[in-house]
Amino acid sequence: MASRRWQGLPQQGRSEEYYEELARIINLCQSISTKSDDPFLVDIPQKLTILKRLLPKWKLIDDLLMDAEAIKELSLMVKLQSDWVKRRASGLFIDPFLVEVKIKLLSKESLAYSVLSSWHPLVAMDQLTPERLEDALDYWNSILPLSQRVKEGPSDQTSSDRTVDIAELVKLRFISERTFNEDVRQMRSRLIESAKDGPVDYWRFVLAPSYEETAMNAYRLSFLVSKGLANLIINPIEETILVEPAEGVENRRGGRSVVISISYEKWRSMIKEGDRK
Amino acid sequence: MSEDASLAKKVRKAAQLIMYQHHRLPGVKGYELRKYIGRDFMKVVSLLQRKLDDLGLEVKTVYADGLEHHNPTEDELEQARFYVISKAPLQMGDASLSGWRIDTLAVFAATVAYLTSKQGRAPRRDVEELLQEKFPDWKIDQDLNRFIRRGYLDEDQNGVLFIGWRTRVEIDRKRLLDMIAGSSPEKVDLEAGPKS
Repeated sequence: MASRRWQGLPQQGRSEEYYEELARIINLCQSISTKSDDPFLVDIPQKLTILKRLLPKWKLIDDLLMDAEAIKELSLMVKLQSDWVKRRASGLFIDPFLVEVKIKLLSKESLAYSVLSSWHPLVAMDQLTPERLEDALDYWNSILPLSQRVKEGPSDQTSSDRTVDIAELVKLRFISERTFNEDVRQMRSRLIESAKDGPVDYWRFVLAPSYEETAMNAYRLSFLVSKGLANLIINPIEETILVEPAEGVENRRGGRSVVISISYEKWRSMIKEGDRK
Repeated sequence: MSEDASLAKKVRKAAQLIMYQHHRLPGVKGYELRKYIGRDFMKVVSLLQRKLDDLGLEVKTVYADGLEHHNPTEDELEQARFYVISKAPLQMGDASLSGWRIDTLAVFAATVAYLTSKQGRAPRRDVEELLQEKFPDWKIDQDLNRFIRRGYLDEDQNGVLFIGWRTRVEIDRKRLLDMIAGSSPEKVDLEAGPKS
């Protein structure tokens, strides 16, 4: 991975030796981690000193990303060193070379004997409760023959990947169509008003005092985006999402879906952050 | 309900939780035992252990890091998983009962011993190279895939093999390593055991 990134890095006339030093650290750590070699082969303080010396030379985002990767790999080495010490203390440590030689020398029968003498089979029971049997019977009675299901079922969609559209929510009486349209219209007006001076932060825009209202705002906004009445500007590097009003070309094609997850914890932390400010 | 009756009920519940398969995997986590039995679940587990002794079974505790803990903390016990296993290892005559041929058992022994000596993980390519000394490629591939399917090994997308959950439960790895590292290259009769 490091070598791939290394080849792709812009050089811009700067000395390659800095990059090579960084790539060497990353490669060493990755090789030790993959091959389960002794993690104490990496002199962590010395490598950190190198990174500290190189840090002022990094200017581009790729330089810093590579530096961050080196730090990540070194911290992984510290964890491996800790696991190594624990393992040695646990009595499971043995020289891998000795084990390898012994495996090569031993007969198949001796190897099989050694594993049988260390094997304590698991005892577990499968069970079927009367309730579960009743559920199964109900399911069997209610399920249509396969031939009918094939005729009816359009779809390769399973229940888990179905999406609920607005018409379905109205049908389920989850929302009223008139109220929803009015809410969406109000949201568009609010967006136009808020984004007078330029795109606004997505989270600030949808955040409401209650979690339910925040989720509903996000849903209304997604509706505006789908209809082409709002645009999302996503910056993956800075991890920001901005929103701005758009002209409204309905049913536009060639767009892409963006998943923005709103968990209760995220909403709570945003509210707390707002309170602090 | 008297205290004895309540304790007996808890022991039955613990046995049920540990031995019945609830989801994909058998066994139960410590925090689930605490939830259904109470804070003194380890006392109940040791009572269950006494009852299982008569049947030649024992409760095995597998900690999250896969290592032995002689004085585990409350947190380590809650994160550990509890299983019931056979107290005595398989007898030599049971080799055929395991459902695996002798050479599959040998591949298994070599793989588990090698991975254990390498901190529980090693590239699949390295394991295959080691096994190629004794076994044909097709057999190695077939056996490694079989161990992965049965939970004895795990493999990540980078082709690194790990010790699986089932090996942690069923195999006494310390004994396996001691036997392999301390044994001499002699012939073993699987019906009778090694020549001493």
